Amino acid sequence: MVVTCEDVWREISNYVDGDVDPALKQALEEHLAKCPHCQSVRDGMCNVIELYGDKTMFSLPVGFYPRLHGRLADQVEARSMSRRAWLVSVGVTGALAASAVCAAALDRFVPRPLSEMSQPARRLPQRLVAIVDGGKMFHVPGCPFMHGTYHMVTAEEAVREGYAPCTRCMRDALRSAGKVTPDFEGEESASGATEEK
Amino acid sequence: MTLAPRSDPGHEQEAALIGRIQSGERELFYELIQPYERRVFVIAFTILRNEADAEDVAQDAFLKAFKYLAQFRSESRFSTWLIQVAINEARQRQRKGHPEIMRPITDQENEDGTYTPRDFTDWREIPSEALERKEIREKLVAALGSLAQKYREVFVLRDVEHMSIEDTAQALGISAGAVKTRLLRARLMLRDLLSPGLDGIWTPNSRIPKGTKPWS
Repeated sequence: MVVTCEDVWREISNYVDGDVDPALKQALEEHLAKCPHCQSVRDGMCNVIELYGDKTMFSLPVGFYPRLHGRLADQVEARSMSRRAWLVSVGVTGALAASAVCAAALDRFVPRPLSEMSQPARRLPQRLVAIVDGGKMFHVPGCPFMHGTYHMVTAEEAVREGYAPCTRCMRDALRSAGKVTPDFEGEESASGATEEK
Repeated sequence: MTLAPRSDPGHEQEAALIGRIQSGERELFYELIQPYERRVFVIAFTILRNEADAEDVAQDAFLKAFKYLAQFRSESRFSTWLIQVAINEARQRQRKGHPEIMRPITDQENEDGTYTPRDFTDWREIPSEALERKEIREKLVAALGSLAQKYREVFVLRDVEHMSIEDTAQALGISAGAVKTRLLRARLMLRDLLSPGLDGIWTPNSRIPKGTKPWS
């Protein structure tokens, strides 16, 4: 097979892609071996392919990915977000309702202090407290204001049963445990009110 | 012989990924498109020849692909379908208000006519400048941009994005024969356009070592 320059130019692209049959390939190569013009066409084409095929040939604009993902996020995550948001809102509503119910229940069930003049405890010591039989207050055992026999219960239990903290010993106990007077602020005004009465 | 697309994850893997996205794991869409993000931008840029428009169109194409993922038929390759979406988006944008005002200077020939490559036997006598990589790239982008769109599209999908002849044909909606003809013309024109300006690069010394390139 004998090929002309025109044949080479028509087939050169397929040739560099390896997409010609063996007989044509051989004929093309025989021609190329002795034709400088066709050689320069082939070399130039190979270089075009090499240069444009370089990964760095086209660079993406700066900030392309963040912008793309920012725009996609609205759509891709939108509906699943709303489903999540729905779940969250249901959860929040539920929690609010539950806490409202609980608050109401607590309000209803918080025992009134046995002593009308005492303020209920707002903060409780993490310890056992002493309740004097027949009394209305709970004390740190050994409090000089306790008299008579007593039994030990947790502070929580004492409050539940309507006992109020002793303004003297319990205040000191909480203060020495690093907790200060706010727990007893109410009592001060309460006792003030008592005095006025 | 056709080149296998380099960045394609396995077809089945991709189909599985698409299935999971369709059944609710929407965040996996990012994983699905990740290998083609650059390709979508490049084809949009090739058609529109403007970075800002290309980026916008690329974003639109991904959004559209996400929206219509349910319509994707897994007999075809996801990447090809995605590129089709991008090409359609870019062409639409072009029609809407960014028509090609200037006729490309190299668009005078008809596809079946023969093209005579210029004879550059005296290139090496042109004083050569030390070309920085960036300057070369600018020349390459400008040369490509001066080709007619039908050549740009085929050339970029084949020689920049290394898509196979079949995938290129499918993405552009043309025959494999048309891909080959346009590719030949694009490569010859680019060689002619670039040769004088890239003197020194075209010499036999810069020949690509055999065995390292897909065509060798």
